[in-house]
Amino acid sequence: MTNVLSTLRFTTLRLIRNWIVLLLLLGIPIVLITFFAIILGDSKTEAGMPYIQESTTLMVLAFQLFGGSIVMSYIHEDFFTERRFRIQSLPFSQTLYAFSISVLGTLFSIFLGGILVFYSFWVFNVEWGNIGWAVFVIALMALLSSIVCLIFTFAVKQFKVAERLSEVYGIGAIVLAGLFFPMPENAFFEFMGSYGNPLTLASAAIFEYQAGNVAEVWLNVSILLGAIIVAFFVMLALGRRRMG
Amino acid sequence: MTIFQFALKRSFRNKTNLLFLTLFPVGAIFLPASEIWPFLPFGYHYFGVLILFVSIRLASIMLEDRVKGVVKRLAVAPISHLHYLWQNLLAYMVILLFQCALAVGGGVLYGQELYSPFALFCLFVTFSLTSLALALAWISLFRNKETSFLVFMSIVVLIALLGGLIMPIEMMPAVFERLAVIFPTYWLSSGMKWVALGGQTTDILLIHGMLLLYTVCFLIIGSIRKIA
Repeated sequence: MTNVLSTLRFTTLRLIRNWIVLLLLLGIPIVLITFFAIILGDSKTEAGMPYIQESTTLMVLAFQLFGGSIVMSYIHEDFFTERRFRIQSLPFSQTLYAFSISVLGTLFSIFLGGILVFYSFWVFNVEWGNIGWAVFVIALMALLSSIVCLIFTFAVKQFKVAERLSEVYGIGAIVLAGLFFPMPENAFFEFMGSYGNPLTLASAAIFEYQAGNVAEVWLNVSILLGAIIVAFFVMLALGRRRMG
Repeated sequence: MTIFQFALKRSFRNKTNLLFLTLFPVGAIFLPASEIWPFLPFGYHYFGVLILFVSIRLASIMLEDRVKGVVKRLAVAPISHLHYLWQNLLAYMVILLFQCALAVGGGVLYGQELYSPFALFCLFVTFSLTSLALALAWISLFRNKETSFLVFMSIVVLIALLGGLIMPIEMMPAVFERLAVIFPTYWLSSGMKWVALGGQTTDILLIHGMLLLYTVCFLIIGSIRKIA
């Protein structure tokens, strides 16, 4: 246990020094948020919500869909490449180490999401309702994304395919939410654009919280939590099979 | 033409490439059209972004060559760098040309409102040239394929946004509206606007001219041989 604890510092350093992740999950969203804030100004949607509030919330949540790639690449590097022999020869519990990487990676993703929330709040006065609640929803998204990405890592033999699948998960959720273009109107796409899509579930949890619709908030969060629990057990089963 | 043939074969060997090269352009045909903006159906409006991605995926084969030392071996082989370069580029251009033809032709057959399909096809072809040259210049800056692709992905989002592909250029503040002209995507979106709304012939010639000018600039930057 203490041996694994001593690795936490190095995992954190690895995370902080990963400039590509910082660029993709922090740099780009900051530029996009800034740009949209300048363009959209004070204009409001038909429902009376400022456009900037809607677009920023969706953007921050959408980038969380890709947060799982951090955990995914570290687990792959440490347990499925040549490095695994070095890791296996170390005097600590492999499972605990894998768990520590997953937790730290997810926390890092939440941290980056948190920075975006505070940035948009302080610089552009984006209304998040309760910031604690927003960060909680972001944490759920980050957790789900990490678990889903790990499922891909364990389920597919070729890591490149798993990487592509994680991109399909992220971009697919954004497209199905209808953010790029309207989706066809049928039962499948309606479901995938509402209760079947993590992005719309999370954004609804934040928007409905701001509107004070407690029942809707809990419905969305419960579905998200349910998905996390189910995905977690699937991941555990697949992980045991792959690692064992 | 051996390099040309192999460049073609290598492009289709990668499974992800196959998805980019065949499935996505076909998918673009069936995307719906918007009521107000953009003027063209979504699949065609975002086709430029797809071209940019396809170009970087194709050009990264050359980056792979550099990293693996193939360029070094070619330097001592009885073949000039120019031959290696143009045969590779020609192969990629043939693929892009085929994609543009597939998307536009498919759209016409499917019954999409493309206003002037031939003008749109020409615009996509010119933009393909620019985007291929941009990809060539881009990969000359990197030594890692994955890094170059990931950073390029974010750059594409930005230039698509700033060039007026994601939202109309008129919506942007005056400074951004003026700045937009430095991005090739601005000329693509202006070209698509011309195709949809019509205009003077000189306008579309200027658009093609600007895109070709970018092509030449990027080609010059990208064609410098780097033996790393």
